[in-house]
Amino acid sequence: MEQPTVQKPVQAGAATSRERLLGERAPVGTRVGAGGRSWLVASIALAGAVAWPFVFPNPFIVTVGTLVLLNAIGASSLHLVIRTGHVSLCHAAFMGVGAYAAVLTLMKLGLPFPFNLLAAAAVPAILALLIGPVVLRLTGKYFVLVTFMLGEIIRLVFLEWTSLTGGANGIFDIPPPWPSLTTPTGFYFLSLACSALCVGLVLRILVSEIGRSIDSIRESERLAGCSGVPVVRLKVVVFIIASGLVGIQGGLHAYLLHYIDPGSFTIVQSMNFVVMNVIGGMEHLAGALIGTVFLVTLPELLRGYVDVQHVMFGIILIFIMAAMPGGIVELVARLRSWRAGQAKEEQAS
Amino acid sequence: MLTRAVLEQVIINGLSLSAIYVLVALGFTLLFGIMRVVNFAHGAFVMLGGYALFYLYGTFKLPYPLAVPLAALIVATASLLLELLVFRWFYHKMLQSMIGLLGLNMALVFSAVLIWDVYERSIPPAFAGLLTFRGLMIPTDRLMIICIALIVLLAFWLFMTRTRHGLAMRAAAQDVDTAESQGINTSFIYRLAFFIAIFMAALAGGLYAQTYSLSPFVGEQTLMVAFIVVVLGGMGSIPGAALGGVILGFSESFISTFYGAAASSFVSFGVVFILLILRPWGLLGTPETERS
Repeated sequence: MEQPTVQKPVQAGAATSRERLLGERAPVGTRVGAGGRSWLVASIALAGAVAWPFVFPNPFIVTVGTLVLLNAIGASSLHLVIRTGHVSLCHAAFMGVGAYAAVLTLMKLGLPFPFNLLAAAAVPAILALLIGPVVLRLTGKYFVLVTFMLGEIIRLVFLEWTSLTGGANGIFDIPPPWPSLTTPTGFYFLSLACSALCVGLVLRILVSEIGRSIDSIRESERLAGCSGVPVVRLKVVVFIIASGLVGIQGGLHAYLLHYIDPGSFTIVQSMNFVVMNVIGGMEHLAGALIGTVFLVTLPELLRGYVDVQHVMFGIILIFIMAAMPGGIVELVARLRSWRAGQAKEEQAS
Repeated sequence: MLTRAVLEQVIINGLSLSAIYVLVALGFTLLFGIMRVVNFAHGAFVMLGGYALFYLYGTFKLPYPLAVPLAALIVATASLLLELLVFRWFYHKMLQSMIGLLGLNMALVFSAVLIWDVYERSIPPAFAGLLTFRGLMIPTDRLMIICIALIVLLAFWLFMTRTRHGLAMRAAAQDVDTAESQGINTSFIYRLAFFIAIFMAALAGGLYAQTYSLSPFVGEQTLMVAFIVVVLGGMGSIPGAALGGVILGFSESFISTFYGAAASSFVSFGVVFILLILRPWGLLGTPETERS
């Protein structure tokens, strides 16, 4: 099988019609060889993440950090799917499959910890391999609808397969995998390692040749197919990788909370992943990560106002979708181009 | 266990469920067919309709035949403000509308939690007792639901087929640009379609909440139902929504009576899942030509 080569690589975040109209370009950070700047930002972020538990040793704050890191896995893997132009509403269901796989291999089979994590990635990936070729032939709204249904079906399986999953009660008293992982800081660094690997993998895929093909699929499936991109096969591969990654998040979540139940893997959590991508900006991996930080820390800071916070999120979501579909990343880019324009004016005068 | 009495009850339950489902799904499909908006907030309007009836009938004790349409009317009129503030931004933007309106759903549902708290309320039943008709026992409240729904559906059908505005609405659904060039005021038509859709959803909400119970989360169930019905019948297809509603109402009534509620939801999700893959445009819909 020859490598899919697109003659003229479609640029990451290629201009949508609106942007063409406004004569501005979306910021392109994952471009091949975008150079030192994005690597600098990435390493600063990583250094900050490593320093976090030393700067704030409070276990609560460390655990909030852990949650951010774990959700970054889910958000960035969903970002990979969204980049193909498909918004999936069953991402949390795959996370649940991963969580149950990890817990059951630990508690029923007694496998050691690395195998649990492996199962957490492998089982959802296999499920995605089975389902992907069927559902990924649908596009646009039909894909959204079918994944919505799929998420509900998987949730019902969690709920009804009582002998295996414990039904609505879930599974509790999940033992910690390693004694050293009982401390919040220990678990934080495990999450950091996993998260960095997963997000790094997503970034690596996006800046590679495959990333070009993924972008070309989003812009036009038919044209991409004509240019030699194996559209459905590539989408299935992306779907499998994304499901495997979010499965890892599920497994780690189970260890963090020592408890899983079907209620954690509903459409609400799937929507959270979508919202993280939307708030940050859907055309950009950085958007997914910014959205994650925003969406995970804000609820923790606003504990006690859970309902108000939901209302607020709803309104933010409406506003972003109506006025600024590019999310925070687009906002930053607009500010930057506005400032650049001002500087130019000053020079001219 | 399949006696005549059980069968009768299953059929009557199926009919009243179908009536509510058709009302919810018709509005959903109307919004999709005309404005290309996937209204994920539909369940929230159903819930608001329930609360409106709770206050008008349960608290203020208005006579039932007045309270039911008035409740739906109030919700629909108030929603026109939301049309102005929210929906207008999302017309003909399908994917954005899905996410944005999920946001609206979240905002409305949790505002309801803030105002009314999460506990369940019940609307007092309007009619008690059974109507016996040649050995056929019909609970009066179920019969009432079926009648109300039939009246509204008939009015809706007459409106769509016999009036100028109905004709304009169908024209706008087929092709907005051509409709506009023929002098149809599409923004008025959109508002009208929105009003009708929300009216039916809120009406269904009142009836649903009275039969079951009322909480801020009552909309989730009905949204799911609207989804299934609309996908089953074909998105944007009005006869499809009616057919889908009847199929779902009866199958749910049968399967949940004989095999339990879980089996019923498995079957309906499973069937829709398979249908989406094999025939994504639904039973009565038409396949769309690809547009960019």
